[in-house]
Amino acid sequence: MTQTRRTLLKLAATAALPMPAIIRPAWAADTVKLGCLFSSSGTMANLEGRLNYVAQMAADELNAGGGVLGRKVEITVTNPASDWPTYAQLGRQLLQEQKVAALFGCWTSVSRKSVLPVVEQNDGLLFYPLHFEGEENSKNVVYLNSPPASSVLPAVDYLMGSDGVGAKRFFMLGSDYVWPRTINKILKGYWATKGIKPAAWHEEYVPFGFSNFQNLMNQIRSFASADGGQPIVVLTVVGSSIPDFLREYTNQGVKPTDIPVLGLDMVEADLEGLNTEGLVGTLNCWAYLQNAPGPRNATFLKNWAAYVKTSGAPYSPTTVIDPMVSTYDGVHLWALAAKKAGSFDVPAVRFAFPGLTFDDPSGYTLSMTDENNYVARGVFIGSVNERQGFDVLWQSKGTPKPVPFSPYS
Amino acid sequence: MLSRPVRGIFRVMRGVPLGLLVMQAVLAPACAAERERAAILAQLCAEDGKDVLNGLRDIAEEAPQDAAWGLRVVEAFSAKRLRCAADGGTFLVLPEAMLNARSLLPVQIDDTSLRAPLPSLRARVVLDQTAAALRLFVATRPQTRLDAVATLARHPETLPPGLLDAALVAERNPNVAAALRALAVKSGLHAPEPMRRLAAIASLAADATSGTITELSALRADPSYTADRSIAAALDAALSNARSQVRIGAGLSLLYNGISAGSVLFMSSVGLAIIFGLMGVINLAQGELIMIGAYTTFCVQGLLQALAPAWIDWYPVLAVPVVFVVTAMVGIGIEALVIRHLYRRPLMTLLATWSISLLLTNLVRVAFGTQNLQFLTPSYLTGGMHVIGDFLVTWNHLFAICAAVAAFIAAFALLRLTDLGLFIRAVTQNRAMAGCVGISTRRIDMLAFGFGAGLAGLGGLALSPIYNVNPTMGSGFIIDSFMVVVLGGVGSLAGTALASLGVGLVNVEFEPFYGAVAAKVIALLLIILIIQWRPEGLIAARGRR
Repeated sequence: MTQTRRTLLKLAATAALPMPAIIRPAWAADTVKLGCLFSSSGTMANLEGRLNYVAQMAADELNAGGGVLGRKVEITVTNPASDWPTYAQLGRQLLQEQKVAALFGCWTSVSRKSVLPVVEQNDGLLFYPLHFEGEENSKNVVYLNSPPASSVLPAVDYLMGSDGVGAKRFFMLGSDYVWPRTINKILKGYWATKGIKPAAWHEEYVPFGFSNFQNLMNQIRSFASADGGQPIVVLTVVGSSIPDFLREYTNQGVKPTDIPVLGLDMVEADLEGLNTEGLVGTLNCWAYLQNAPGPRNATFLKNWAAYVKTSGAPYSPTTVIDPMVSTYDGVHLWALAAKKAGSFDVPAVRFAFPGLTFDDPSGYTLSMTDENNYVARGVFIGSVNERQGFDVLWQSKGTPKPVPFSPYS
Repeated sequence: MLSRPVRGIFRVMRGVPLGLLVMQAVLAPACAAERERAAILAQLCAEDGKDVLNGLRDIAEEAPQDAAWGLRVVEAFSAKRLRCAADGGTFLVLPEAMLNARSLLPVQIDDTSLRAPLPSLRARVVLDQTAAALRLFVATRPQTRLDAVATLARHPETLPPGLLDAALVAERNPNVAAALRALAVKSGLHAPEPMRRLAAIASLAADATSGTITELSALRADPSYTADRSIAAALDAALSNARSQVRIGAGLSLLYNGISAGSVLFMSSVGLAIIFGLMGVINLAQGELIMIGAYTTFCVQGLLQALAPAWIDWYPVLAVPVVFVVTAMVGIGIEALVIRHLYRRPLMTLLATWSISLLLTNLVRVAFGTQNLQFLTPSYLTGGMHVIGDFLVTWNHLFAICAAVAAFIAAFALLRLTDLGLFIRAVTQNRAMAGCVGISTRRIDMLAFGFGAGLAGLGGLALSPIYNVNPTMGSGFIIDSFMVVVLGGVGSLAGTALASLGVGLVNVEFEPFYGAVAAKVIALLLIILIIQWRPEGLIAARGRR
């Protein structure tokens, strides 16, 4: 059984390689393995699947530059099939049997929580590429993306300020699970410190996969027309609920100029299938947007398009989302740390993290400190355009310091 | 002629410290318009145009030829087609050429070094209003001008004085003129004359929303505004009138939302009502038949776009026969190839139809990809009509309601009024006996299954303006559909209709009070209780089974 699965894994990894497979006799001697835990089937497939290819692309870049510490980087791909316990099982296999030097994986917080005990028991390293609710700091996880303090709060600050819309009142609408509830808890604590009264906000949660937003849109409209200043919607619904919400939003004739929406989990893929003309001005916030200015981003976009073409990856060559860039950054950060440490051993690599910097496609210089395993990233606020993409409306001056545990929660 | 643009400049410069430019404009009146344009463009480039657009709107009434220019610039700015050079030059990017933004004449310039200003959300509010104000003077189609009046009516308090009067002077179309006059009355709320205020209050109260209540309550609390007794009395009357309208509107929207949720449920379960309800086949591929219906609709839309673009707006109607036939054929295929052999083995049917559902999902995924499909939504399916209070009748939900009623009538008529319906009922009630009296049971099974599948496909068509259409959409429907069919009573179409309406209403009516999660729990608890009380469902089929 093990043998079969291992062969399968190898097959999958070989199939993902863009170059023709070359039979190398001394397999382990001249390569170092990195494992990917991204689903290529199930509900997360459309989003997570492309991260496998980005990891491979980053590894190809490293190999083209002579590899890491004289060894070629080899990506081992698995398919946890959007099933949370399988992430843990495959993660254990990668660490114990494949002896991978690091894991790259997970999208939802629940899958990360399921892999967490595995990497802690085996003293592995998991590079996690999504922005999330924070409130976690494991020495075995590298948090590549931002906690709320350096993503959500700056975006809300922008909307509350005079550059934004001067938001005074907040309708929080989320899916009913840990991420939206934690984010909203932090937001409420934050607003309380700003002297905003609880009467100025309203919280609603919907089940996963909820699609009938008629009542909630009615509620939002009457909330918005009440007294007390400019209202906004902080949207933390996930998955298929995002386009369903946006459809009802335009259908009821609401415009982003009347009631702006800050969609915290909204990426380009969520706008597929929607006519975004009525949504122009709807906001999101990430550490990278496809329209980020600068030559490094232009190069990355060009490389991705070329990579899709040569590898035949079943994803759009013209769409790049934040978690893709975060995964790419993760592979390079790991390589930098290994080079600095002169070893692939996890404790040595971890010891090398503080002081690392990397110039990533977003245009910012990422950095890590000895305080925690978080990576400092820039903040972008995106505004939906007519072509189902996001324009950069605002971006931070530098990279705010990541604060894992929010003082507001 | 000269004085007008100069006045315009003063308005443009309102709140902007550019007195020097104004001075120059006055000294050299011959090129005043030119300088005015330059100043506006510089403002747009400099600060993403927050205040300058207010001024632009004023130009509309002053100099119509500049209004046309202003509209082009404003539209270009909101479409991000405005480019600013470091030396102050400003350009419009068109697909085929670059224009000098000041003169609108073509220029040759390398656009790589140019900056594209992006309007902020706050600027967009002013931008929309400004564009609407300019369109009143520029647009040739009356409908465009009507839309512009509607846009201006969103924020009547921000209208510059004199704008509506100027537009009324120029307006020739009676409908647009009427809309303008109505807007003029509403915008008189803050006018100094008590008569205008009273008229505005009356007109606002006649067509109130909860926003009206907020606005009027604020005025009622303002002692300087209500110094005049008659205004205070008018406000009181208007407020009580508005409150009752909003209450009625809230009740009606709850009812409407419940009915539309019920009809969505009915459209997704009507096919199953035939296949499971009447034939007793546990078809787990039912959701995929809905999905195929939606994809067929998409293909019809694509074909129409390629072959007969003039008819594209009517694709949801034209697709009805195609979708029905295609999904019915798929259903007949499934029946003939798989289910026919398993009528006596329900457990195996369950497994077989589940694997069919996986097969269909993945076939579609390979053929079309995993992303949501983009439908062209015709204008009669977007937006809605304001009825009373905050109550909107949204067209796409109304479409689903109408489709559900039509599907119910068609299915009911077929089962009750035609020979085929009689045979189907006979076969499902007693297969052996029906065979004995000469009914070809095999053929009836096939036709009934095809009919059920076709109805499921029509469900997909009706739901495509409401739902995300992707290969896995079907799995979302299957549990709710079985729930509704079992609750309604196996074998009863009327029961299915009643159950979907009931579940839809319960879900929606409880939602505003207890939240969407609790509403779902309450609905499920009620279903359990009802099934305990009536194991056969709400309307139990009579006869031996």
